[in-house]
Amino acid sequence: MKTLFVLLFIIGFSFAGCKGDRQQEKPKSGEKGRIQTIVAVGDSLTAGLGLAEEEAYPALLEKKLQADGYPYRVVNAGVSAETSSGTLSRLEWILTLKPDIVILETGANDGLRGIDPQVAENNIREILKILKDRDVVVLLAGMKMVRNLGPPYVARFNALYLRLAEESGAVFMPFFLDGVAMQGELNQADGVHPNGAGYRKISENLYPYVLQAIKRTQGR
Amino acid sequence: MNLRFLLREIAHSRGQAAVFVLCVALSLVSIVAVNSFRRDVRGVIAGDARSLHGGDIIIHSHSEFNPQLSAELADLGREKGVVAVDTREFYSVARKADGAASLFSNIKAVDNPYPLYGRVELRSGREFADVLRPGKAIVATALLERLGLAVGDPLLLGGATLEIVDVVSRESLRPVDFFNFGPRIFVSTADLAAMDLVGKGSRVSYETLLKLADQTRQEAIVARLTAKAVAGQEQVTTSAKASSRIKRFFDNLLFFLSLISIFTLLLAGIGMQSSLAALLRRKMKTFAIIRALGATGWFLLRHYLLLVLLLSALGCGLGILAGLLLKQSFAGLLVGLLPENIVLGASLRDVVEGMGLGLIVVSFFTFLPLSGIEHVKPAAIFRKDARPGLRRKSTRVLLVCGLLLLFGLVIRQLDDVRIGLYFMAGIFTLVGLIALLIGGLLKLLARCTIQTLSLRQAMRSLLRPGNASRAIVVTLASALAVLFAIYLLEENLRVTYIESYPADAPNLFCLDIQKDQQQGFLQLVGGQVELFPVVRARLHSINDRAINRETELQKRGDSLAREFSLTYRDTLLPDEVVTAGAGLFGSNDRPGGLPPVSLLDTVVEMGNFKIGDIVEFNIQGVPLRAEVTSIRSRTKSMLYPYFYFVFPEKYLQAAPQTFFAALKVAKGDLAQLENRIVNKYPNISPINVGETAAELGKLMEKLSVLVTFFASLAILAGGLILVSSILATRMARMEEAVHYKILGADTWFVLRVFFLENLLLALLSGGAAVLVAELGSWGLCHFLLDIRYDPIWSACLFLVASTAALVVVLGLLSSIPIIRKKPGRFLREQV
Repeated sequence: MKTLFVLLFIIGFSFAGCKGDRQQEKPKSGEKGRIQTIVAVGDSLTAGLGLAEEEAYPALLEKKLQADGYPYRVVNAGVSAETSSGTLSRLEWILTLKPDIVILETGANDGLRGIDPQVAENNIREILKILKDRDVVVLLAGMKMVRNLGPPYVARFNALYLRLAEESGAVFMPFFLDGVAMQGELNQADGVHPNGAGYRKISENLYPYVLQAIKRTQGR
Repeated sequence: MNLRFLLREIAHSRGQAAVFVLCVALSLVSIVAVNSFRRDVRGVIAGDARSLHGGDIIIHSHSEFNPQLSAELADLGREKGVVAVDTREFYSVARKADGAASLFSNIKAVDNPYPLYGRVELRSGREFADVLRPGKAIVATALLERLGLAVGDPLLLGGATLEIVDVVSRESLRPVDFFNFGPRIFVSTADLAAMDLVGKGSRVSYETLLKLADQTRQEAIVARLTAKAVAGQEQVTTSAKASSRIKRFFDNLLFFLSLISIFTLLLAGIGMQSSLAALLRRKMKTFAIIRALGATGWFLLRHYLLLVLLLSALGCGLGILAGLLLKQSFAGLLVGLLPENIVLGASLRDVVEGMGLGLIVVSFFTFLPLSGIEHVKPAAIFRKDARPGLRRKSTRVLLVCGLLLLFGLVIRQLDDVRIGLYFMAGIFTLVGLIALLIGGLLKLLARCTIQTLSLRQAMRSLLRPGNASRAIVVTLASALAVLFAIYLLEENLRVTYIESYPADAPNLFCLDIQKDQQQGFLQLVGGQVELFPVVRARLHSINDRAINRETELQKRGDSLAREFSLTYRDTLLPDEVVTAGAGLFGSNDRPGGLPPVSLLDTVVEMGNFKIGDIVEFNIQGVPLRAEVTSIRSRTKSMLYPYFYFVFPEKYLQAAPQTFFAALKVAKGDLAQLENRIVNKYPNISPINVGETAAELGKLMEKLSVLVTFFASLAILAGGLILVSSILATRMARMEEAVHYKILGADTWFVLRVFFLENLLLALLSGGAAVLVAELGSWGLCHFLLDIRYDPIWSACLFLVASTAALVVVLGLLSSIPIIRKKPGRFLREQV
């Protein structure tokens, strides 16, 4: 089974501050004095199915953060084929890593198996609540469901991420596969899982949101 | 040429002549039948591969084909002798017209004339192409059951409302796709626009299937299309190359049938040789007398050559007749397996080829006995056992030529030079081993001191100088070894491939059961269902050497760089055995020690693991170091779950995990149970594999019948060898019986001696055969077929016992006329 997440449309940045975030000032060296932890939680798109772990976005992100002077390690806690129910039930395990930030990318496999979007919504809501209670900053990566599931399903599915982001106040990246989905040259032969170039694009897209999340940790 | 002499010779040696004719016939029947069947099966497999993959050439992509490829396909479609059909396959949510219920389904949009190969059978019995029209849908039974719909009801798919017009009862393409998350719905591609589900942003499998009138064009067309396809995204392949487990099975089966056919041929050859040798031995004195009367060696040779030729022709005639009869029985044997339009059985080519092969074998196996005739000296009247030797250079040269010819024949039959050479080397090793073994045993027996007179006499007659018993035992043991080996191979193949699909095999898999749903799920399915915990992890290092992901990912097969599913349990599964290590976790599961882990042999081969290796996993960010404490092996039952890495429960209990369940559910309850599961736990994905399993199971059963049938031909050849061996020693036995009687023995004593001699002979042959067969079959299973081997000792014991019974009964039956012989009359005839 493969985890399949596909994005349909390029959605413009809904957060006006994004550009500004990109220009965020570099951290002072030795800030906070300890290596902080970002845990990338998700399915095969996080795990890097079909690629070496070093090519998946968490490893690329860690490299970029450290190059830019951010003392962060990024743990890849992606599990291929996982649904949001699976993510919810392993949350305690993830919390043993004592994350400062969690990048949450889940729900696509629910959609690709035709599971009622309400199930994914309830699970993600619960995950966000638990993480908030534990004072973990969350970057929620949005997903768009494939068109062939039909407009009613797609509409319900696609709407849930924005709604949850607004409810929880999490940092929100509207579309995890922005500019990567449906681009043959950025995906593996299955047309769903990004290749090395695809992950480089994803980590570039994700970076400003990660900086936004880092800023929030600094504000705690 | 003296015809009267010839006819008298035949009439006088009816028994041996009959066995010879039967052997020729059997060698011909079996090879014609096997070759013909092999051709048929190859055709069927090619046909099946086409049916399974849907075309001669398959072009597949997850996005629309690039314009160049599309243009090339359009050009091809216009060419004569090429039929193309497009299919679009995707998942979507089908809804009832009132919106009250919906179901995740697998949609396949096809055009006429789909399917190009194979069939989509409908419940109504109508033709698929006649039923599937725009605006209509043909659905799987499961969809009707789960949505509570019936034929004639409307079904909503995307923006289109379609009428359900029929139900799929069988789909020949389906078994290849084992895992499907939803029931099938066939629609017409004309309805895709109204559905509005396929377009940018859709996850769709695009496939174009081509059917070629001229198969020789395949490679050229594949090359043409590959040149236009985007590498890594658009795949162009042929049904013959498209791999599947089924193809691997057929490859093994065909190889096995070829082996049986060669074995049968060789056995029948040995039968020919020994029956002819028996005939000639009986005639040795007559030859000497004829020579004494002035006939030349050439006179004898040419008459016997003609005699052998006549008998061979008779055998060939019988063989062809039997072959034609077999053709009729194939149809019955293969009902449902072969397409109805296939022409079965022996074609003229099969018969001509078979006759040619049969005659080569006849020439090879009769050459040695015949070559001795020419050199029979008149003095042989007074000597015993004037046996033809291999001393003459010309004989040796001819023998080498014959062997080379036989090599060629074997290689051609097995269709592989390397394996053909292995096979011949194997046969020689087999005979050599058996000869050594028997030689050793006979020497041991000669040293034994035996008190019982009858047993002593039995032993002496077995060991008497000049007796052919060593040759007979070696021949018999070789034949039996081959027969045992066929039996053992067949049993092991059957266990591996057929019992993988037992009647109680699971038909419903449930994925993604969460930890807190275990109890509820078990209550819901209402049974003792085993839940298998699944913990996802990556292997980080072996003995502190990090996994080289780059090298691993370049491997063609499985790779150590991928994510693995770990599990925990304290016992072996029913189909598992520990092949190395003391128990699953040995004594390593001790306080303070590293956690123990048991590895499946498949993964051991991937990473050269050994007991005691330290492996480190990354379980979703958390490292876990463990020590390899055991290696497991399993019978490759495809329908049961298996895990490469097994830990004791306590080390993984806290790790993130989901559960997997394999259930056997009554067919009628499947849909309801699936609905109940999904309604209560929408996250659990039930996968119905019942139909696929049943389909494959039926196929395997039929193939098993075929293998047994062909193996029985080899067994028949073995029986003939036995009879001819007994006939070969008839004269010597007769002399012995007469001598015993002259010395005052009664009939019972003579019978007892014969009984014990036959028993000794059978036990020697059977014992040696079992040992060698076990060794050979293990080697074949282990190194060539790559399947688990079970020695089945109980069956071997039974085989030895039945061989002994058969040899003793046949021996005694053929001894009756010998015992009845009056000593006086016999001696008068001999003097």
